[in-house]
Amino acid sequence: MIKAIGALLLRAAVVLLGTAILTFALLWNAPGDPAQTIAMARFDALLTDDVIDQIRDEVGLNTNFWHAFRAWLGPLLRFDFGYSAVTGRPVWPDLWTAMTYTFPLALAGLASGLALSLPLAILATKRPGGLLDRTSVAIASLGAAIPAYWLGLLLILLLAVQLGWLPAMGARTPAHAILPAVTLGLGVAASLTRIIRSGILEARGQPFLPAIRRRGVDGRAVARDHIAPHAAIPVVTVFGLELAFLLEGAVLIEVIFGRPGLGTFLVQAILSRDFPHVQAVVVLTALVFVVVNLAIDIIYRAIDPRIGTEDA
Amino acid sequence: MLKVTDLAVKRGSRVTLESITLSLPAGETLAVVGESGAGKSTLIAAILGLLKPAEGEITWNGKPARAARPALVMQEPRAAFNPALNLRRSVMEPIVAQGVALAAGRLERLCAGLEMPLDLLDRRPDQVSIGQAQRAGILRALIAAPPLVLFDEPLSALDAVTQKHTARLISELQAEEGFAALIVTHDLGYAVAHGDQIMVLKAGRVEETADANTFALTPQSPYCRTLRDAAISLGALEAAA
Amino acid sequence: MTLSVSGLSAVRSGRTILHPTSLEIPLQIRIGLVGSSGSGKSTLGHALIDDLRAQGHTVAHVPQSPDEALDPLRSMAFHWREAETALGLPPGSADQAGLFGALKIEGGDLSKRPWGWSRGMQQRFVIAMALIGNPDLIVLDEPTSALDPVVAAATMELLSAFLTGKDTAMILITHDLGLAARRVERLMVMDAGRLVETGRTEDILERPKTRAANALSTHRNWMVLPC
Repeated sequence: MIKAIGALLLRAAVVLLGTAILTFALLWNAPGDPAQTIAMARFDALLTDDVIDQIRDEVGLNTNFWHAFRAWLGPLLRFDFGYSAVTGRPVWPDLWTAMTYTFPLALAGLASGLALSLPLAILATKRPGGLLDRTSVAIASLGAAIPAYWLGLLLILLLAVQLGWLPAMGARTPAHAILPAVTLGLGVAASLTRIIRSGILEARGQPFLPAIRRRGVDGRAVARDHIAPHAAIPVVTVFGLELAFLLEGAVLIEVIFGRPGLGTFLVQAILSRDFPHVQAVVVLTALVFVVVNLAIDIIYRAIDPRIGTEDA
Repeated sequence: MLKVTDLAVKRGSRVTLESITLSLPAGETLAVVGESGAGKSTLIAAILGLLKPAEGEITWNGKPARAARPALVMQEPRAAFNPALNLRRSVMEPIVAQGVALAAGRLERLCAGLEMPLDLLDRRPDQVSIGQAQRAGILRALIAAPPLVLFDEPLSALDAVTQKHTARLISELQAEEGFAALIVTHDLGYAVAHGDQIMVLKAGRVEETADANTFALTPQSPYCRTLRDAAISLGALEAAA
Repeated sequence: MTLSVSGLSAVRSGRTILHPTSLEIPLQIRIGLVGSSGSGKSTLGHALIDDLRAQGHTVAHVPQSPDEALDPLRSMAFHWREAETALGLPPGSADQAGLFGALKIEGGDLSKRPWGWSRGMQQRFVIAMALIGNPDLIVLDEPTSALDPVVAAATMELLSAFLTGKDTAMILITHDLGLAARRVERLMVMDAGRLVETGRTEDILERPKTRAANALSTHRNWMVLPC
């Protein structure tokens, strides 16, 4: 177990380093002159070559790739993201503020997604193939087919504009988070419902269940102690994918609902060629991914220790 | 004649078979007995050419054994067939694959030998009994007249009465067709009743090789005596009072 | 006391797989329920268990393979506790040491999951679990067919020894009359969903009356070794 976790950690480190190199290389080789774009963003005017050269010097664009990469990576390892190329302010405080908006939103999305999909899946599996089951599968498939930005607009139109129940734009009060969280959650619920449903159905077909029931264990205990853990395995597996969906969804949703957060932060950074900002978001996202997937791998091994051993 | 000389098979760093030597003349039966994990199925895979030996060689009449196109009868009769095809299509596969002609009346003769009505072949694997499916598996193995047939636990999915019936049909067809049979089984009773020679494998090595009658009466090693006594205890073999 | 059931039957997708069957099982007896595959042995076994349970008797069941008895995600200790709870016993109250000793699995690590044990040990654990609380009857459905012969023989030997002198009756369901004949004093022969012949083991071995019993008796072993 310790050895396996060590191997997982090593893999995580390699993924992170790879992401860092790739991000840096992509931005370094992006078309156009970043110095000029930064100058535009900073001073909102076309400038002389002197000023642009000065910016190039200041931002570190006039050295070679590896030199610049090392100059960036060194501080990054100490969690120092450097300074914004546009505003000159340190990246971290702004990034942190963005995170405090996005992460709670993503978690709320995940929570509402689970809260919707779990009862729906359990209800659906009461009678597989029945009307309830087919309806919930149909709803889930429809939900998965609807893009988040369209659903978001639809919800704004209905609940904010027509009925006026909830605020739509901004992030002033917690109530402002409800619509974006529900929009995210519906997307999550669509895919989770199907996964949980098939997980439960497959778990119910496990060959040892009849004998355990015949031993006199009551149905509730069988569901809790034997069906649920088996059904959880595929659900845990897709959690990594759900996270990708959540972060990607959050970017869109923040822009639609006019909320600050990582999405808005990233879009602004890209438009103004603020390399340190873009790099910070990508590295942070990669870090979240790696940490979550690491946690999933460990949880996985806790549920089913056969995974990753020769017995599997 | 099948000849295996000093065969060793490795999987990764693990040795799964070591120093296996055997010879099996045409028309005879060698029963390979051992517990799960002893290397029985590995031996079959090596003879079929599915695993590359780390050492030693496997020949049929001096040429590499796989050139003789040994046939295989598998353990799980139904799983051995494509469920979407009727048995006739599946049974004819070796003929089609090898591009050989089917001798007139051969299918009918084999079916009669296996006590299978011909119209059974028009059914799919799930529409026949498990014993019938296993006999169809034997039919498929024999249809292209292979000189060597490998049986991997051919009776383990069948009930006790069907086992004895199927084993007798295999022996009768062997007498007619003259193929060499290598039978892998965990059932010592089957091995001594239908084998000419017995080879006991334990942890990838040959524990003992002997002719069947000698083995049943006087197994040499303590392990082989344990195996024989277990067969008696389970009723597979009966000691005369 | 005698366990008795009457009028057991079963229908699956319109076909009668068990015709109405009644039988009596005295205490302490060991019975072999034998027949070809598809003859309805397991169906009768299950119907018997359900009926006797409904009458308030304790009946334990051991399926063919440990894969059909143990959850690979749950530890052996969990299974044990679960079995105790299902019988209404407080956890830890069953004579685990005694049962484990009788079945020679004292060395097993209960914190491991089933696949951390050998298959033979798993099956003996399942049998030990079935014997918790001295049931009135233990039904074993082909308990040895998934095991290697040496392990299978030892398991049957240990179980027979354990049951000797106990009140628990045993029904051994098997297609192999040779196996049953060495372990039971009475036989019940099934054919096509009907109980066609019952009697003392020696009688059925020597003078089978029905076609089914005759086939089972004729093919009960591979050969007789001259001694």
